[in-house]
Amino acid sequence: MSDTVQTGKPLLEVRDLCVAYGAIEAVRSVSFTVQAGQIVSLIGSNGAGKTTTLRTISGLLRPRSGQILFEGRPIHTQPAHAILGMGVAHCPEGRRLFPKMTVEENLLLGAYTRKDEGIAEDVERVYDLFPVLGERRGNKAGLFSGGEQQMLAIGRAMMSRPRLLMLDEPSMGLSPIMTQRIFDTIRDLQRLGTTVLLVEQNALAALAQSDYAHVVDLGRTTIEGTGHDLLADQRVRDAYLGEN
Amino acid sequence: MSEVSTAGRTGLFRPLSTAGAVATVLGALLPWATFVFNEGPYPAKATLQFFDAPFALSGFRLHLMLFGLAALVVGFTRLPGRGRVLRALGWGVLAVSAVNTVFLISNGGGFGAVSASDGAFAFGCYVGLAGGALLVADNWHASAEPLPRWKFSLPLWAAWLVLLVSFGAVLLLVAATLTAGGLGGAADPYAGPVFLSFLGAAGGLLGGLHGTGLLSWIGELSEKHRLFSVLVLLLCALGLPLTSAGNEYWMTVAANIGVYAATAIGLNIVVGLAGLLDLGYVAFMGIGAFVAANLSGAAASALGIHVPFLLAAVIAAVIAGIFGVIVGSPTLRVRGDYLAIVTLAFGEIFRRAAQNNIGGLTGGANAIPNIPQVELFGLEFNNPVTIGGLQLPGGVLYYFLIVLLVALTMVAFGNLKNSRIGRAWIAIREDEDVARAMGIRTGKAKILAFLTGATLAGLAGAVFAHKTATVSYESFQFLESVTLLAAVILGGMGTIPGAVLGAALLFVLPEKLREFSDYRLLLFGLALVLIMRFRPQGLVPDRHRRAELVAEDVELPAAPKEATA
Amino acid sequence: MFATLMQQIANGIVFGALIALVALGYTMVYGIVQLINFAHGEVFMVGAFGGLATYTWVLPADVKQIWYVALPLMVLGGVVVSVLISLAMERIAYRPLRNAPRLAPLITALGVSVFLQEAVRLFYPNATSAQPFPATFITTPLVIGPVTVPASGILLVAVSIVLAILLQAYVNRSRMGRAMRATAQDPDTARLMGINPDRVIVVTFAIGAVLAGVGGVLYGVYINNIDNQIGFQNGVFAFTAAVLGGIGSIRGAVIGSFVIGLVKNLADVLLPGGTAYDYVWIFVLLIVVLVFAPQGLFGEAERVRA
Repeated sequence: MSDTVQTGKPLLEVRDLCVAYGAIEAVRSVSFTVQAGQIVSLIGSNGAGKTTTLRTISGLLRPRSGQILFEGRPIHTQPAHAILGMGVAHCPEGRRLFPKMTVEENLLLGAYTRKDEGIAEDVERVYDLFPVLGERRGNKAGLFSGGEQQMLAIGRAMMSRPRLLMLDEPSMGLSPIMTQRIFDTIRDLQRLGTTVLLVEQNALAALAQSDYAHVVDLGRTTIEGTGHDLLADQRVRDAYLGEN
Repeated sequence: MSEVSTAGRTGLFRPLSTAGAVATVLGALLPWATFVFNEGPYPAKATLQFFDAPFALSGFRLHLMLFGLAALVVGFTRLPGRGRVLRALGWGVLAVSAVNTVFLISNGGGFGAVSASDGAFAFGCYVGLAGGALLVADNWHASAEPLPRWKFSLPLWAAWLVLLVSFGAVLLLVAATLTAGGLGGAADPYAGPVFLSFLGAAGGLLGGLHGTGLLSWIGELSEKHRLFSVLVLLLCALGLPLTSAGNEYWMTVAANIGVYAATAIGLNIVVGLAGLLDLGYVAFMGIGAFVAANLSGAAASALGIHVPFLLAAVIAAVIAGIFGVIVGSPTLRVRGDYLAIVTLAFGEIFRRAAQNNIGGLTGGANAIPNIPQVELFGLEFNNPVTIGGLQLPGGVLYYFLIVLLVALTMVAFGNLKNSRIGRAWIAIREDEDVARAMGIRTGKAKILAFLTGATLAGLAGAVFAHKTATVSYESFQFLESVTLLAAVILGGMGTIPGAVLGAALLFVLPEKLREFSDYRLLLFGLALVLIMRFRPQGLVPDRHRRAELVAEDVELPAAPKEATA
Repeated sequence: MFATLMQQIANGIVFGALIALVALGYTMVYGIVQLINFAHGEVFMVGAFGGLATYTWVLPADVKQIWYVALPLMVLGGVVVSVLISLAMERIAYRPLRNAPRLAPLITALGVSVFLQEAVRLFYPNATSAQPFPATFITTPLVIGPVTVPASGILLVAVSIVLAILLQAYVNRSRMGRAMRATAQDPDTARLMGINPDRVIVVTFAIGAVLAGVGGVLYGVYINNIDNQIGFQNGVFAFTAAVLGGIGSIRGAVIGSFVIGLVKNLADVLLPGGTAYDYVWIFVLLIVVLVFAPQGLFGEAERVRA
């Protein structure tokens, strides 16, 4: 785990974000930055506004106020498909594969915006990373187990060659072994140069893997620090790591 | 009395609005046309006067003058809801000016009619349009102001007096609207524009009153004194023959509107309360009509038996209700769009069957003509009647009968809406799965909605059969179902005034605009699209409900077009 | 009797092929936006009038005689009109209602349908009554034993099947086809893949309009007269076919259409009421399918917005 100092121009910057569903403010004041090359996680309890934050960054929701800057450019007024084109991929909560399509079709959809020659190569790379997908590339995605589906979802998100990969609850519903494999994969991706923004309820696992982390509570970012620091922080331990 | 909005502009002087008001007044005073219509009767007969006497204000120019003065006064007061009032007046001015301008240009042979010719200037319409536009534009964001809420509590006698006066005013307005412009079509080619102009003025007036909070207050008052209001309303409706609308022609028009209004209220139960889209609803009215026709002793009917009208009406309602249950039964398994298609299919089956004279019951293409008039208590319903010294026109008895029918459906609707089953319907409309989880027997409730709606439509159909004396399958086509649905939606789903207002508008307009009758359906289709786009909640929205037709308030201010596909 | 039956079966197949061209548009649009595009039947109708207009005003007199030049040009004209109308209605009427509750677009569709019917009746010269459609295609009928099928009928079947196969291939193989299926399955996630839903929807409406336009012109060639009501009537049949086959499924729409065509034509001779009641039987079939098998023959799951 590299030492992290928040320097230089951040890859992603979220400023004072507020998002509402009608009268209900799911996100009230969320601010954080993600430095290139890091794994940054947002942790917090259910309903804290983590998923809403990700959905707003990827353009599925519009902020009521606040700003989202990617590489210094505001993206919160852009439509979702354009944001993907800028290099932000979002692997949504619950995986959201296209269940009636094959593994290969799901991966090709991940590369929908690309028109270069390297797509077939990248598909093979995902199969190398997750051999189980390669063996069953012609099968419908809906037939796979939870862990396999998560691999496919991550693989699919990688297919757009994002500079920022946002993962929402990648460990949800997975066995501890499978969770470990998914987190190993995330580290591999980081090593390959991808910046990762991770949302997790499984705070222990997330913090252990993260360079930097923010706690989201009731729609606000509260505590922040390196993964190490937060693991040691008494408030975090009490609230999110189930210790008393 | 009310909290003055802090968001709205509270400054006393509103230069743009004042300019708009002044322009409106000026527009009313200026001449509107550069020539005299050679057809003669227009200025004399109609309420539009715009040539010779610029200071003799009558008709639409009187409306404009009053609107302008009202806007001028309101613009300098701290009246709560001021912006809303000014905007409504502005829309009224715009509508009145636009209708008359378009009429002058189209009938006067081009723009020369409203600008200048032979040294005569007639800029009235431009000034009027500008005045309206200024008023609307300056108060464009008036919806941000809260609607003023009046919190007077009145002693009983005063409340009753207010209600009496209000409903009396409504009666006069209804009579004036109905007769505005006179008979349509060949009888009076000016009826259309005069009527539309009056409608614009009436709309502006009502909008302005609504903006002050007065209408909501009266609404609350009438809800508090419900029984009294119902009685007064009924009395007022029965008093229509005593107004300017008291002749056979208008009685017939009013009766026709009443039949469709009653049917629309029935449909409102199915669509507005229970949220079940019915695209074949007019079939129930048709079933009621054909049943009544067959029991009327009409020569062309297959049964050839004569059953007293009241009994026949009940039988018609029951049989229509039975069909309602049959049509409603698929709702147990089918939902949403698919249900709409099932009802459409039932409607088409009915129409095809009636067209082919199924069982000899419908007369097919020959229809069932010569249905005898209703006779009750020794009264023949087509004849004029004299009560005391009061001479009432022919058709007035049908009108009374239909007023009672509408009143009956209203009472049924009102009671059902606030009952256990009504709450069940609303729960189903909002979310069927949740409703079921709450223990509501949704299947039973949905079939009951169809049953009730169909029964009311059957009853209306029975009256319709006797009223029009001929029942043909052509009166019960898909387009009639769509028109009824449009009436419910235009008026406002789930509300009684909405259904009545919608039915009145959709069935009076063709009556008044017969010279445009060829374009009726074209405009109707266009209107459906525009309503859905710009005012899906209807003219009289139900304030107690999350409107089915208004998008949920998901915040997408930055790029409203961007959302789920 | 046997001869009559065979003839009716042949007629049914031709009618089914016609309906399929319209049903495919219904099924595609419903699959992507869950909208019963009532006005799709009118797209078919304006296509027929577009073909007629091309013949009347665009084609030079000598070209009108050469069917293999005239007919493709008429089809092209019809398709252009259909696509323009269809895209205009998507843009103007439906797109602003994308997030509105389900009733709003459905009622808008009814309004668009009435509007288009009336617009053609009022503004197309003489369209207040049925218009004769020129018999541009070869008139020699095909006779197989007791069955006689006009050449235009054969053409209709051939074109319909070829187009359906092409469409199936396009949806399954092409990049846009994949985007369409993705949007149909999960619109939000499709956006996360970088798919622009507006583009997908426009393409879907355009494809539906192309098929309907071809169908409209070929209908004119086959029936030899058109009026402003053909859209509504055939539209309801086509919708029934789409539901019967399982809405959203291309194969289902085609097979459903042939079933509808056969039912209609066999009902004429076999079921009580004869030709006067064939519509009734189709609507009965529609209700039965919706009630007892709403997913249709090939639909994967009931896709109903509650």
